[in-house]
Amino acid sequence: MSQSERMIDIAGVHKTFVADHGTVTALEPVTITIKQGEFISIVGPSGCGKSTLLRLISGLDHASGGTITLDTAGRKRPVGFVFQEPVLLPWKTILENVRFPLDTAGVSRAEADKVALDLIKMVGLAGFEKALPRQLSGGMRQRAAIARSLSDDPPILLMDEPFSAVDLMTRDTLNDELLRIWQSTGKTILLVTHSVDEAAYLADRVMVMTARPGKLKCVHDVDLARPRGEDTKLDPAYHALVAQLRRDLRTPGVAQGEGAH
Amino acid sequence: MIRRFTAWIDYALALAVLLGAWWFATGPMAMPTYLLPSPLRTWNALAGIAMSGELWLHLGFTVQNIVLGLILGLVTGIALAYVMTRFPKLAIWVDGPLVILQTAPKIALAPLFVVWFGFGILAKIILIFSLVFFPVFIGAVAGFRTLDPKMKDLSKLLGLGHIQRFRQIELPSAMPEIFVGLKIGAVQALVGAVLAEWMSGKLGLGYLMTYAGATYKTPLLFAAVLLTVVLGLLMHVVLTMLENRLLSWKGAKR
Repeated sequence: MSQSERMIDIAGVHKTFVADHGTVTALEPVTITIKQGEFISIVGPSGCGKSTLLRLISGLDHASGGTITLDTAGRKRPVGFVFQEPVLLPWKTILENVRFPLDTAGVSRAEADKVALDLIKMVGLAGFEKALPRQLSGGMRQRAAIARSLSDDPPILLMDEPFSAVDLMTRDTLNDELLRIWQSTGKTILLVTHSVDEAAYLADRVMVMTARPGKLKCVHDVDLARPRGEDTKLDPAYHALVAQLRRDLRTPGVAQGEGAH
Repeated sequence: MIRRFTAWIDYALALAVLLGAWWFATGPMAMPTYLLPSPLRTWNALAGIAMSGELWLHLGFTVQNIVLGLILGLVTGIALAYVMTRFPKLAIWVDGPLVILQTAPKIALAPLFVVWFGFGILAKIILIFSLVFFPVFIGAVAGFRTLDPKMKDLSKLLGLGHIQRFRQIELPSAMPEIFVGLKIGAVQALVGAVLAEWMSGKLGLGYLMTYAGATYKTPLLFAAVLLTVVLGLLMHVVLTMLENRLLSWKGAKR
């Protein structure tokens, strides 16, 4: 991999929390290099440190050790972040919410409006610019959150179980739209999910993490043709990968001598 | 629209019944004027001071004190609540004195305020302020404390400065709770204003009441009392309108 396509370099990053009864390891040292424009899925059970890893990359939390290097040339906001819930400002309209990162960065109103309106159209919310978040469904709110995370054009998009709160059918639609957005914007995307199907369907590579202590177990390359769609879900290779991911998650991680939990 | 209209009709009917009963008591029942002046006499007393300009002086003074006290209490209440939620260490120090001040009946302190701050406007505004401050403060503390932690993440991700974070996220999300405090405080402000004018000074609706009472001008007393009631209603209407405007995003009110 050449130097120029590298986007995120994670070297020996780990995280421990200090609790009442001593320190808790949230994440054992992780090392991985992510290329520019790559779509990475991170799967694992609760408590495997996948959200922690995302928060470390975003700078919301600080690592206990190791280094994270983002190839984003000193941008003030290198990452866009989509939370599990939309986290929209309920007193602002959809347009104002999507425009919020631009407004707070001092971008002119005309320019910000143009960007925001384009994004709203891209995520399929055209006609709802003036609506308040409470007037939209959960799936629509999450679309707005995605549009907001893209509005100041960050090279990296971090998504922490973004579709876990929406119903399955909406989720399928949103997955396809996410792929479309990824293809048209060329962002580097890291998506955390519980769903192995979703992970395999979307990603170039899938990071499998295991819990207690949270650690990166293995990384799978996903050799499925793009663009992906309903045909992908019929592909035997897709099913083989999903089955492999399930096995990875079921068998406990490399023996730590702690036995059953 | 129709709903609002019928509500107005209800109010008007209730008012008419009240007025009718009042008139009946003074007319056919022949209650003496020094106990209960007739609606007409009360109206004449009101019109009299309105014509002479005296009314506007008193009303203006009371309204001015209420508005100043409200603004002062609102700003200080929000500011102190914000500082305390930002610096929890400080809260430990400030909590005790605040509880003592909060539970002390401000009405009982009113004479002290006159002694300390004189017969002028200062003592009056301080009394109103002390009544408005606590409900606003408590509401604001509740509002700032219940801020969604994800909102904090959002402001951190966007690298918002303190002022941006306060104006764009923290203040608006605490607004519903602040408004609860403000509405309680507004009622208290009116009580405080009238009470302060009873005790000292030569201006205000409260002064008008004590003057009318002392000189047995019962129609004038009635006019002053009614004006105070109307003023309270008006404040309620203005605050409700403001609330509907500022908090329409909550969607609970119609």
